[in-house]
Amino acid sequence: MDKYNIDEDSLGILRRGTSLYYAGSVIFAAGIVLLIVGVAFIIMSQIHYGSEPGKIILSVIFMGGGASLVLTGTNLMMKQTKYGYYITAAGTILALLALAIFSSIYPQGWYYPTVSYVLAMYIVGILALLGNGFANVVLWIISSKSETATRSSQENYTVHNDESIQRDIEEAVQSSIQQSSSELKFKDQNFGNVRLGKAFNESRGKTTRVKDDMNEADKLKRTTSGNKVKSGSSEVDKISSQLREAMENQTAEKGVIEKIKDRFDKYF
Amino acid sequence: MAKGLDIGTMNIICAENEGEDVVFTQERNAFLELDSSDLTNMMLDSAKVLYIEKDDKISVLGEDAFNFATIFGKETRRPMRFGIISPKEKDAIPMIKLIVDRVLGDPGYQNEALCISSPADPIDLDMNTLYHKKMTEALTKKMSYDTKVIDEGLAVVYSELADSNFTGLGISIGAGLTNVTLAYMATPVLSFSIGRGGDWIDEQVSNATGLPKDHACVTKEKGFRLGSEVEIGGPEGALTIYYDALMTYVIQNLNKKLAEITPPNVKFPVAVAGGSSNPPGFSKMFEKKLKEANLQIDISNINIATDPLYSVSRGCLIAARTQEGEEMGRNKNADDILQEIEEIGEGEE
Ligand SMILES: Nc1ncnc2c1ncn2[C@@H]1O[C@H](COP(=O)(O)OP(=O)(O)OP(=O)(O)O)[C@@H](O)[C@H]1O
Ligand SMILES: [Mg+2]
Repeated sequence: MDKYNIDEDSLGILRRGTSLYYAGSVIFAAGIVLLIVGVAFIIMSQIHYGSEPGKIILSVIFMGGGASLVLTGTNLMMKQTKYGYYITAAGTILALLALAIFSSIYPQGWYYPTVSYVLAMYIVGILALLGNGFANVVLWIISSKSETATRSSQENYTVHNDESIQRDIEEAVQSSIQQSSSELKFKDQNFGNVRLGKAFNESRGKTTRVKDDMNEADKLKRTTSGNKVKSGSSEVDKISSQLREAMENQTAEKGVIEKIKDRFDKYF
Repeated sequence: MAKGLDIGTMNIICAENEGEDVVFTQERNAFLELDSSDLTNMMLDSAKVLYIEKDDKISVLGEDAFNFATIFGKETRRPMRFGIISPKEKDAIPMIKLIVDRVLGDPGYQNEALCISSPADPIDLDMNTLYHKKMTEALTKKMSYDTKVIDEGLAVVYSELADSNFTGLGISIGAGLTNVTLAYMATPVLSFSIGRGGDWIDEQVSNATGLPKDHACVTKEKGFRLGSEVEIGGPEGALTIYYDALMTYVIQNLNKKLAEITPPNVKFPVAVAGGSSNPPGFSKMFEKKLKEANLQIDISNINIATDPLYSVSRGCLIAARTQEGEEMGRNKNADDILQEIEEIGEGEE
């Protein structure tokens, strides 16, 4: 059921295409492979402080590259705000650039202060990737929390697919038609020259009397306490609020950049 | 006080409180036109027949129309078809007005609360109920009632499902339509109607057996019982077959509609009302079919209304009294409200 699809449809600010998801998982897998190869390499060639520079460069590339690819992949697999993609890209480029600089200058140029610049570059890149991923998770939790909150208070119609939105619009339009015609004044129709038989004035028809305390009326009053008695399909308020909600979700899709800004300003 | 009115294809029924009782006043929604030479006014008046005289035609209204129809070998005319004012009957509105006037009576005071039932739009007929709703609303407002309209299925929920906090499935199988409302805490989640009911059964049985429709209807209403054994030949066999077909059709359509929504995840009791749920054996057969159908919602129990014919008007009366209470006691204090919330919370479990 699409009930469980909430994160896909209704969180306007977090988004991700499926192709990116696959790219992300491939990068993630590549990172893992690099890490494994790196570990194997370090063990096999028994890397130590004084090992050959070539071996050291290779193991650093395996481990450092693997770590950054794993993080990049994770980020791409998550739903992102639009800024998230920039941050991911920047983080990845920084980390890989740092690795590239390292491999090109090690060991001759590997001395203070270059070391700290390159190291800082790598760390900033990795931290950006980590931070972005973390922020996304937090944002996702917050959004899905607010989603469940609306669900329990609204019970139905929290998930809006195209069909239900269409239906809500139709219903709201219909109920507004009903509402509008309730302003109409009706004139008595002239039935012509009609004479009523005597029986019309004598009784009101066949009656049945049942002992009945009708405590349902009080119960209904309590159940709907505060609200008016719901009047079936002509119940304008509920439907129009559903419509409003549906519309809001739609605009959330459109004005997504504004929404992200708002969300970011609020939480970060 | 307040009143509830069920304007149905076959019966117009008013419910009101009188002391500790509820009084139902009913009239058949039918009439028969006769030449005034056939009968004298005196005869009709002394027999307390409900009639009107217009130009040189006499129209007999309500139950009596049926009696005269058999005597004169004519067919009655019906102001409503498929739950709404019949577009094919030019005298529909004046006739409905006359019957409503009489059954409902004058309001006890200006703007007495009145709740009337209306069918929901049918899913299998190209038909809209708005005109009918507005016309019946206008007719009663003209009589100085403060009228509200609710769906027929919701009226069944109000009348029969108080124990589950007005949560459940209310089904009214009437003459022209079958109305269905799924309600959660007295709020309709889903409301629709299906274009089949008692009239459809009469028609099919009449087609199949060659009996006149009225005859099929009388057989159905008098002493017919639904069982799994079907007698070959005869109207009873045909009635059973078409009752079975009606139930299957209703349940299939219900399931189709339920698939379109995401209902709250609770167990729903089912209440069935409407004249067509009267025959003995109906409840057993319906329950069996409903259980076999694997509905999209969880069903807790299935009940036929104590008085299927009156359930809708009673539900309307409940709604009208609530509406009236609303208007009189707007100002509640905080304690009352808190208590109410608690009670609702308890009921929810
Ligand atoms: N005892 C009975 N057994 C079987 N059917 C019955 C019985 N009594 C009434 N009916 C049928 O019930 C139908 C009338 O029920 P009801 O008064 O609930 O319908 P209505 O409200 O007039 O119609 P609708 O809701 O479709 O507009 C008729 O088809 C009638 O033949
Ligand atoms: Mg009815």
